[in-house]
Amino acid sequence: MSTESNKKRKPKVIRSDGAPPEGKRNRSEIDLASEIEERRIQSCVHFMTLKKLNRLAHIRLKKGRDQTHEAKQKVDAYHLQLQNLLYEVMHLQKEITKCLEFKSKHEEIELVSMEEFYREAPPEISKCEITMGDPHQQTLARLDWELEQRKRLAEKYKECLASKEKILKEIEVKKEYLSSLQPRLSSIMQASLPVQEYLFMPFDQAHKQYETARHLPPPLYVLFVQASAYGQACDKKLSVAIEGNVEEAKALYKPPEDSQDDESDSDAEEEQTTKRRRPTLGVQLDDKRKEMLKRHPLSVMLDLRCKDDSMLHLTFYYLMNLNIMTVKARVSTATEIVTPVSAGYVDLLSPDMILSCLYPGDHGKKTPNPANQYQFDKVGILTLSDYVLELGHPYLWVQKLGGLHFPKEQPQHTVTADNSLSASHMETTMKLLRTRLQARLALTKQFASLEHGIVPVSSECQRLFPAKIVSRLVKWVAIAYEDYMELPYTRDIVEAGLAEDTHLYYLALIERGTAKLQAAVVLNPGYSSIPPIFRLCLNWKGEKTSSNDDNIRAMESEVSVCYRELYGPRPGYQLLTNQLQRLCVVLDVYLETESHDTSVEGPKEFPQEKMCLRLVRGPSRMKPFKYNHPQGFFSHR
Amino acid sequence: MEVQRALERLHMTIFSQSVSPCGKFLAAGNNYGQIAIFSLSAALSSEAKEESKKPLVTFVAHDGPVYSLVSTDRHLLSAGDGEVKAWLWGEIIKKGCKEVWSRHPPYRSSLEVPEINALLLNPKENSLLLAGGDCQLHTMDLETGSFTLRGHTDYIHCLALRERSPEVLSGGEDGTVRLWDLRTGEEVQTIEVYRHEECARPQNGKWIGCLATDSDWMVCGGGPALTLWHLRSATPTTVFPLRAPQKHVTFYQDLVLTAAGNSCRVDVFTNLGYRAFSLSF
Repeated sequence: MSTESNKKRKPKVIRSDGAPPEGKRNRSEIDLASEIEERRIQSCVHFMTLKKLNRLAHIRLKKGRDQTHEAKQKVDAYHLQLQNLLYEVMHLQKEITKCLEFKSKHEEIELVSMEEFYREAPPEISKCEITMGDPHQQTLARLDWELEQRKRLAEKYKECLASKEKILKEIEVKKEYLSSLQPRLSSIMQASLPVQEYLFMPFDQAHKQYETARHLPPPLYVLFVQASAYGQACDKKLSVAIEGNVEEAKALYKPPEDSQDDESDSDAEEEQTTKRRRPTLGVQLDDKRKEMLKRHPLSVMLDLRCKDDSMLHLTFYYLMNLNIMTVKARVSTATEIVTPVSAGYVDLLSPDMILSCLYPGDHGKKTPNPANQYQFDKVGILTLSDYVLELGHPYLWVQKLGGLHFPKEQPQHTVTADNSLSASHMETTMKLLRTRLQARLALTKQFASLEHGIVPVSSECQRLFPAKIVSRLVKWVAIAYEDYMELPYTRDIVEAGLAEDTHLYYLALIERGTAKLQAAVVLNPGYSSIPPIFRLCLNWKGEKTSSNDDNIRAMESEVSVCYRELYGPRPGYQLLTNQLQRLCVVLDVYLETESHDTSVEGPKEFPQEKMCLRLVRGPSRMKPFKYNHPQGFFSHR
Repeated sequence: MEVQRALERLHMTIFSQSVSPCGKFLAAGNNYGQIAIFSLSAALSSEAKEESKKPLVTFVAHDGPVYSLVSTDRHLLSAGDGEVKAWLWGEIIKKGCKEVWSRHPPYRSSLEVPEINALLLNPKENSLLLAGGDCQLHTMDLETGSFTLRGHTDYIHCLALRERSPEVLSGGEDGTVRLWDLRTGEEVQTIEVYRHEECARPQNGKWIGCLATDSDWMVCGGGPALTLWHLRSATPTTVFPLRAPQKHVTFYQDLVLTAAGNSCRVDVFTNLGYRAFSLSF
């Protein structure tokens, strides 16, 4: 096309150059008009060719465009496919990774170990041949087995639940049966009461006691339990009882488990006491004191019976606010006791005196609980000894029997009742109480006799003394501690700490002829395990005491130091009378063996009647005070 | 039991004492037959406490009271009821010490065992003189052997050794002071103190409780007043003005020291008879 067009152009160019010269104008005019026509037709043809060419170019362009467009479209389609595929690939990859990461729940189940599995699973599940090789199958098999086992266990569980229900029902039934039994039993017990009394088996009584005992405060409870146990086990003559108002106890003092009720009770009480406003301060203080010293309404009574049917009745009280126990004692005897009538006589069996110093130093006048001092200061109580007459004595052994221990070195905040403390002290204390009662009864009898100037010596003790004793006991009186301290010849006893205000003091007067022997006696409350101590003053040819006459000292020694020979038969309560008898004997010896003063006229006042081997011995020139039985002579120690 | 212990201590009498040869210990014998050994060096030292004044060891030596103690250079000799025991000073402070030997002088009667009131060492002849309740003087050779010297009519309280001539003096309950010759065993001289009016005090008795001699001179006392005697002439020269019967007397250089036993004083006199001063507890 283009070459055609180029050819067509060329001719145009040539033609324009090939114009004939000017000669022929008329032909030129007709040639010109034909040329113009030709040219015009040529130009029209040229125009048409141009159009055709243009048209062709357009068509070619369009075709080209269409082709491009098609190709582009294809490419786009492929591209799109590619995108889709890629997307799918990505998706699939994600899925794959998800699948790969998937932890199946089955991995969380703890399966039994391989060996166990192969051991236990039945062969249809375990399918060894397949599973050994194929881990997937193996896991499946294991899961199967797991499921199987779980099903079995679930069944078992259901069975057990069912049986448990059954058993519970049975228990219920039996409980009901038992609770219906209780009223029946108590009615039987009621009915059996007359039978019990007839047979002397007071079970009911004991039961009631234990019922009441539950309302006792802890120290009294410990005492009750330990004393009953001791009485049943070792000592048939000990009886324990509880006295007092149980209702009050129940209202006042609930058991420690109900601590909240306790608080509300005490709160209610406090309100009551503060509401009662008294007019004067003194009376208020008095009330406070009474409140502080209040006793628990229940008390424990111990009765100790001795061989001669004398009894010691001990009543133990508990002072609630002070957390101490006190005791009141009373003696009753089968026969009437003859009490001495002399002036100043101290009743050894009085409730105040009888338990004094049961253990050495335990005088029971001070409260053993150190915390009480602060409480006393608040209400103006000086010391508990003002109130012991009505409240009883707070001896240390009483606290120990109640299991209360107040250590001096480390004060404790709360002292609670301890069973083992009570048990360890029970036996010794009971024995001491018995000995104390017996000793005091013996002493009272002896004093009654001594008042009349008779020294009662039992037949077993006659061998300690010679047959004939001339010196006689003329007087026996009780003196006060201060009077004893003022005697000049007792100073060394007081200084040695052997005479205290808890001891008892007596003055004996023994006479023979013109000789008068005064003896000051210290009686320890722990008689007769602790011997009485004698101090002598002889008025004969001057006043002789142990400070100026060695023989008087020897006489004191003979009576006070060599006391073990004078105990007499086993309980040894005759020590005092034997000592007095021996004193008469040594006075006889002293007076009879006194060397005769040749410068003074007249015979000896006391002729020697005692048989003595030697009258004087040793550098201190002692007289023979020791009596030898059965030969009956006197010798030196 | 403490009451018994306190009672014993109140009624205790210490009869005898003796210092150990090294001078550090003191042995004391009491009426219960016990001997206590005290450490003098501890008790007298500057840091003495209460425990230093308590005995190191106390043991029962005899059945009866220990009336006399004397020390040789190795032994402590103690005399009780009729027997003499010897203890080694080196062993005595150990617990459970036993006596080295124990001898009984021969006695006449067996009904009552006489006590031995005085022990005297005669260093020249290495013998021990004993005197006591059987009214006799015994000499015991510290190895073995003994012979007796008789004479007193009542028991003997005290002995004293006269240095220059080998004589021993004994004073007794019968009121006499007798001189004995140790070589012959015979009584040389008897002085009946109570017969002399200057010193006799019949209200106290005639017994002679204490005796001390200085070869030419002698002091004796007891029931009669304490008197200084010239031995050769056997006459009393000075009577000391003391009322109480004297239990102990010694010569010290030119002075006479004496103690009564029931007062707290030790009186010191010159031979001329006046009281120089008194030491008191």
